[in-house]
Amino acid sequence: MARYFGLDRIFTFLNTIKEAGGIRASLYKLYRMDNLRPGQLVGTDKYGNKYYQNPSYFYGRNRWIEYAPYYGMEYDGSQVPAEWYGWLHYKTDLTPDQDPSRPKYKWMLDHTENLSGTPGQYMPYSTTRPKIEPWIPGRK
Amino acid sequence: MMRITFAKVLQGAKISPKHLLIASRNQSGEVKKPEKIEVFIDNKSVMVEPGTTVLQAAAMVGVEIPRFCYHERLAVAGNCRMCLVEVEKSPKPVAACAMPVMKGWHIKTDSEMTKKAREGIMEFLLVNHPLDCPICDQGGECDLQDQSMAFGSDRSRFTDNDFSGKRAVEDKDIGPLIKTIMTRCIHCTRCIRFASEIAGVDDLGTTGRGNDMQVGTYIEKMFMSELSGNVIDLCPVGALTSKPYSFTARPWEIRKVDSIDVLDAVGSNIVVSTRTGEVMRIMPRVNEEINEEWLADKSRFSYDGLKRQRLVTPMIRDNKGELKPVDWEAALLTVAKVVKNAGSKIGAVAGGFADAEQLIAVKDLLNTLGSEALCTEHTFPLDGSGTDLRSSYLLNNRIAGAEEADVVLLVGTNPRFEAPLLNARLRKGWVHNELEVASIGPKVDLTYDHDHLGDDPQVLQQLINGQHEFSKKLRSAKKPLIIVGSETLERSDGAAILSAVQTLAASTSVENKDWKVLNVLHKIASQVAALDIGYTPGVDKIREGNLKVLFLLGADDGAIEKSDLPPDCFVIYQGHHGDHGASIADAILPGAAYTEKQATYVNTEGRAQQTLVAVSPPGRAREDWKIIRALSEIVGAKLPYDKLNEIRDRLEEVAPHLTRYGSAEGANYFKQAEQLAKKSKSQLDCTPIDVKVKELQDYFMTDSISRASPTMAKCVQAVLKQKQSKYCD
Repeated sequence: MARYFGLDRIFTFLNTIKEAGGIRASLYKLYRMDNLRPGQLVGTDKYGNKYYQNPSYFYGRNRWIEYAPYYGMEYDGSQVPAEWYGWLHYKTDLTPDQDPSRPKYKWMLDHTENLSGTPGQYMPYSTTRPKIEPWIPGRK
Repeated sequence: MMRITFAKVLQGAKISPKHLLIASRNQSGEVKKPEKIEVFIDNKSVMVEPGTTVLQAAAMVGVEIPRFCYHERLAVAGNCRMCLVEVEKSPKPVAACAMPVMKGWHIKTDSEMTKKAREGIMEFLLVNHPLDCPICDQGGECDLQDQSMAFGSDRSRFTDNDFSGKRAVEDKDIGPLIKTIMTRCIHCTRCIRFASEIAGVDDLGTTGRGNDMQVGTYIEKMFMSELSGNVIDLCPVGALTSKPYSFTARPWEIRKVDSIDVLDAVGSNIVVSTRTGEVMRIMPRVNEEINEEWLADKSRFSYDGLKRQRLVTPMIRDNKGELKPVDWEAALLTVAKVVKNAGSKIGAVAGGFADAEQLIAVKDLLNTLGSEALCTEHTFPLDGSGTDLRSSYLLNNRIAGAEEADVVLLVGTNPRFEAPLLNARLRKGWVHNELEVASIGPKVDLTYDHDHLGDDPQVLQQLINGQHEFSKKLRSAKKPLIIVGSETLERSDGAAILSAVQTLAASTSVENKDWKVLNVLHKIASQVAALDIGYTPGVDKIREGNLKVLFLLGADDGAIEKSDLPPDCFVIYQGHHGDHGASIADAILPGAAYTEKQATYVNTEGRAQQTLVAVSPPGRAREDWKIIRALSEIVGAKLPYDKLNEIRDRLEEVAPHLTRYGSAEGANYFKQAEQLAKKSKSQLDCTPIDVKVKELQDYFMTDSISRASPTMAKCVQAVLKQKQSKYCD
């Protein structure tokens, strides 16, 4: 009945707002991520990113990430750690905690996001001699 | 060694008495100037003096005959045969460079026979010349490359494609400046002739003959000359190239800027070659009145000093006593505050590389602030007329004039290393003009024979009194020159020496009124401009002035020490190299070196010349006069010029000759100067006259640029090593 009149969409809408944590939080999420979708929380990584899925959306839009709040508007794809990358890109349907075959060694490095454009970026050192060598006071 | 060819004698321009003797055997009485004769070059008629060579006659009508061994300033060798031309009715082609023309000759420079001769010669040269143009430093400016394109055959008969038979010659090690690739040598012998005729170092020669001929030094030794770099320019192929420049740049990617050299007081004309904002090399530019087409080694090779030990940012000494980099705003504000507080207790010392614009700006600023303590680092006697009469501190008779002299007296100077190009002129006079040279001072090798009259200043007195045997020669000379080193005038009895020399100059009998006997040879580039503008020579004023602020304008020779100044004196160093001056400074304002600014320099003859901007000053360094102009505004004594033209107008107001670029402003009032000098009470000392730079190893590193140059350091090492060799004489 409700479905016939399209009222279920209203319920879904209200449910989505509720899941997002109220009208204010929904508006912020909409502003931050450009869409607001209901979904089931699949997991959270150690950086605080949350991974959602909703099979009612079509393939390609049915898994998404909500970046950890402290990234604010400064989020980007390189912040997805390697263990979640596969799930998010449909390489696997198993989330990291469900997959026992994932390698885990002590020497494995922590994930780092792309640091280009920040003070932490990689700068190769120059191998050419400087054109001008300045005088350094107090050195003969 | 001194080959004076038949052709040269016939030219009649500079016939020495020795040759006149030979000539006068046939013709009694005076030598008449012979009539001109007519010859035809490619059917164009030209009237030439007898004795003119075919090559010179062709040049008169604008026909350039290809040549390798012939060079205008060297003796004719005639061994490359490239200049072969056809002369009508002559069965064989003749070598144009060595053959004097005869009346009515028809010379064909473009005939079939001439072309065939050239092609043949070119083929022979190329048979034994490696095809390594792509890796050769001469590539692009090589005479052999150009001439093989223009005059060579269009096909090759060279079939030795498996490289079994080309002549190969071992490379020689002739020092840190000249790289030799002797396989490329085509035996033009220009380098040999240069070494023996102009440099006066008879080190180079040939061994073997025919295909086995080699140019070299016989035994492995350094080419120990202060003019050695010129053989690089002379070499028509890439056999002699510049070591510091090797494999760094190509002639077609280089920008060339005409400039002036400031490493000695001669003011040689140079071309600064730059690429990617870097000075790649320095080469001479022809100026017949100054450097002809030569350049001294220090001027040519010390450019790598412009890239090291540079002041690239303003610095202020912090409260820990360390110089810390700051930006211009902080530096100028700090300096301006100190200058304001100092009132009129402020002084300036001009060093060797200060240009006229900077000097006038500093002088205007300090005069506005009420100070007169403007000094030059090198002193000059102030007794008598002092520096009021220009004639007492100029090389009055000009550099070119030295060629014509018949007797030269050198007083306390070693022109070979203080002004190598003036020495080359003197040597030229000695070779071609029977010039007699005598020197008072330490015994040094001037590359030509000279009378050493001892190093006692009293010799001057004897010369004046006529007791000395040389005084007769000096008095009877028609064109005598007395060249006094500026260093000698810095002695405590400098005034007496100057006075004695002036008296001596006045006692000579010169017929020509334009001939000026008294000449002062300076060692540093800024001195004449500074004295012209009105700086006081010597730093006594600074020592006595109890100053609060002292400007050092590139003063690096250590005339002023920290201990000469009151302890609270604030020292501001403005210059381009971190050297002695910068290390005692409390504030450093980085300026531009001579390749980085358009600036006026006056050479020892009093000739104003300007440098042009070849590269931009490094880092935050700025043109010097602009720094002073900016400072003046903050101090509150704004200088009334914003542009280069405006400051040059101001220069013109002070001394008009400073902006007449290229011409040397003469000076006069010798008599008045002499009479005023006689009033001086200074007496000649007994301490022997000495000069600082006596030998080649002392020559290379004398100022802040050459001290920073690794090439110059290598030269010093190489000379010292060579001096220890058992083959060194």
